[in-house]
Amino acid sequence: MLNSFRISFSLKNTYRVNSIIYSIKQIPILKRFLPDTLYKNLGIKIFAMMLSAVWELMTAFLGKFLYIACMIFFMLSLYDADDPDIFTHIFACLTVIGAVMNTYMFDPTNDKYYAICLMRMDAKKYTLSNYLYAILKVVAGFLPFTLLFGLLSGVPLITCLLMPFFVAGVKLISAAYILYRYEKYEKVMNENLPAKVIWSLTGIMLAAAYVPPYFGFVLPNLAFLLLAILVILAGGFCLRYIFRFQQYREMYQILLADKKNGTNVDVKKITEEQTRKMIIQDASITSKKKGYEYFNELFVKRHQKLLWRAAKRVAAISAFVVAGLLALVQIEPKAAEVINGLMLRYLPYFVFIMYLINRGTAITQAMFMNCDHSMLSYSFYRKPETILRLFAIRLREIVKINLLPAFVIAAGLPLILFFSGGTENVLNYAVLFISILSMSVFFSVHHLICYYLLQPYNVNTEIKSSTYQIVTWGTYMVCWLFINVRLDTLVFGVSVTAFSILYCIIACVLAYQYAPKTFKLRA
Amino acid sequence: MELVIEGLSKYFEKKEVLRDITFRFQKGKIYGLLGRNGAGKTTLFNCLNRDIKTDGGDFYIDEAGQRRETTADDIGYVLSTPTVPEFLTGREFLKFFIDINQKNIQDLKSIDEYFEIINLAEEDRDKLLKDYSHGMKNKMQMLVNIIAKPHILLLDEPLTSLDVVVAEEMKQLLKTLKEDQIIIFSTHIMELALDLCDEIVILNHGKLELVDQENLNNEEFKNKIIDTLREESHA
Repeated sequence: MLNSFRISFSLKNTYRVNSIIYSIKQIPILKRFLPDTLYKNLGIKIFAMMLSAVWELMTAFLGKFLYIACMIFFMLSLYDADDPDIFTHIFACLTVIGAVMNTYMFDPTNDKYYAICLMRMDAKKYTLSNYLYAILKVVAGFLPFTLLFGLLSGVPLITCLLMPFFVAGVKLISAAYILYRYEKYEKVMNENLPAKVIWSLTGIMLAAAYVPPYFGFVLPNLAFLLLAILVILAGGFCLRYIFRFQQYREMYQILLADKKNGTNVDVKKITEEQTRKMIIQDASITSKKKGYEYFNELFVKRHQKLLWRAAKRVAAISAFVVAGLLALVQIEPKAAEVINGLMLRYLPYFVFIMYLINRGTAITQAMFMNCDHSMLSYSFYRKPETILRLFAIRLREIVKINLLPAFVIAAGLPLILFFSGGTENVLNYAVLFISILSMSVFFSVHHLICYYLLQPYNVNTEIKSSTYQIVTWGTYMVCWLFINVRLDTLVFGVSVTAFSILYCIIACVLAYQYAPKTFKLRA
Repeated sequence: MELVIEGLSKYFEKKEVLRDITFRFQKGKIYGLLGRNGAGKTTLFNCLNRDIKTDGGDFYIDEAGQRRETTADDIGYVLSTPTVPEFLTGREFLKFFIDINQKNIQDLKSIDEYFEIINLAEEDRDKLLKDYSHGMKNKMQMLVNIIAKPHILLLDEPLTSLDVVVAEEMKQLLKTLKEDQIIIFSTHIMELALDLCDEIVILNHGKLELVDQENLNNEEFKNKIIDTLREESHA
């Protein structure tokens, strides 16, 4: 069994190392200097292996650290009572969720598929050795942090020591039960597709974890200790069952069946399917236009759900919020004062909000998946005049769609400003209105330009451009950073409007210059 | 009219996929492009369709001694997996295509007449393309190329996954098309190549080579082709 663990571990490691090298090769500029033979280069292999080891340690420890810190330790501050039992109580309840949602054994991962189905390793030996390793990793990963955070919260040492083993025990019981269910009823569980029961259980346990402590009901330490000992004993018993279970291969062949059509397609397939489902099947949809306008109108009408409906929804929600705030400033003079201040200092925050409500990414994705993906294989569609003609039409549409919710916000902000006490400088009203609209146009242009200039997809609708990913990520980061910026509305509004106008002009010039060359399927 | 390729080369990193290819394809013929897996057939098509840049050499159209660059209108490319805009119905797709290409289409017919050519049932014409079967999508893609009549038609493994009836229909269709066009047809299926094509061209080790049937019968010719493929892979 040790041997099969060694083989499977090195298999997993090789595959991880190769993925790391592959990602390195995707970095722009750098990739030009890296040959295909990189995969056999020993130096880079060792480097990737080190990253892989760091990754293994991170999954073992960092995850547990974040889990206990965020889900339990920081949550303690929500409760008035300074009771260490709350820590154990939440921990115990969340452990039950983890045991069904995060089993390791019933997660259809690629490395299981490679080992069991492709390499035909002994399924039982493979599973058991890796499962034991996973369980040990859980115990080792939890121990430092149950000790650290537990002791900090005043939990007795013995309880802190038992906690990781309690987790292992609950996981073993749950795994044994799922195996038993397979043996008895041939039901296979896939932990990534939890059944309704499991969702309900998760909901109940979440509520049980956080609500009762609020009212002073918690699991006493002694009860937890007893429970933990029982669970650990039962876990040992279940481990015996897990070792005796004989049908690992049959079970995994069912669980991993979807992997046969390629191992990385699932997410991609699901996205493709979902985008396709966005096409509305309604015979009454027609168009009286001609040529590109005809083509575009049908695209927009058949993607109503994705385009206008979503924009209308955001507009309605925005209108609702605006109305709420208007009412609030009328009845609460104190709130009015605060909100008035916000209107005059917090405009940068709206960069992030406008970024979030912009539908650009979803729209360009649908454009690709449902339209350009196929159309780009026709030569007439790749003629510069076609590309630019459609670019202009699409720019108009995408701007129009996003302007609807933007208009509600743009009109709402000056109103809120006025009714919350107004401002001495009348220009502020105009600046609020115009800057929100220009931000909306900016994001629309930005998304479409990135799509046209970096067209990131290949024939198989995989994103192949790391530049595109870096730009997307960078956009997010920049917008997010604006959350913390406080600037005078007048100054910021005027600058952001000027920037947007300038950006749009430059972007369109670039698009007319380069899109005919860049807008094609990636090889 | 001839499609002339002169010294065409293409590298992927250090691997030379197309090696200094020189060849003349003539109008009125269907060329069967044979090659082993990974020989570079699709790369050659992608180069001719200008989907990827070449690393050397040139290709152009020679019309009665007059040389000119190929344009997007000259080339039709049918991929092995048919791609059609899923959000349109068959009829809408054709209408759009005709709208855009009107000035290049000779003797324009009605949309239904076009559907007749590829034998597409009346009830399917107003369905969304996303609900078309593989074969129907393939027919649509072919039809667009029949309407546009590009001078050069590149077909990448087009009949491989069609049922026998559709495949036969498509074969007949191609035979009627070839008069005014250069059709280059890549396939793995030897019988199909022998049955449909006027010339057999082999792509192996980055080189294009015409295999002459001389006066061999089909069986002998087949063996000759296999031998050529085999020998060259050891070269």
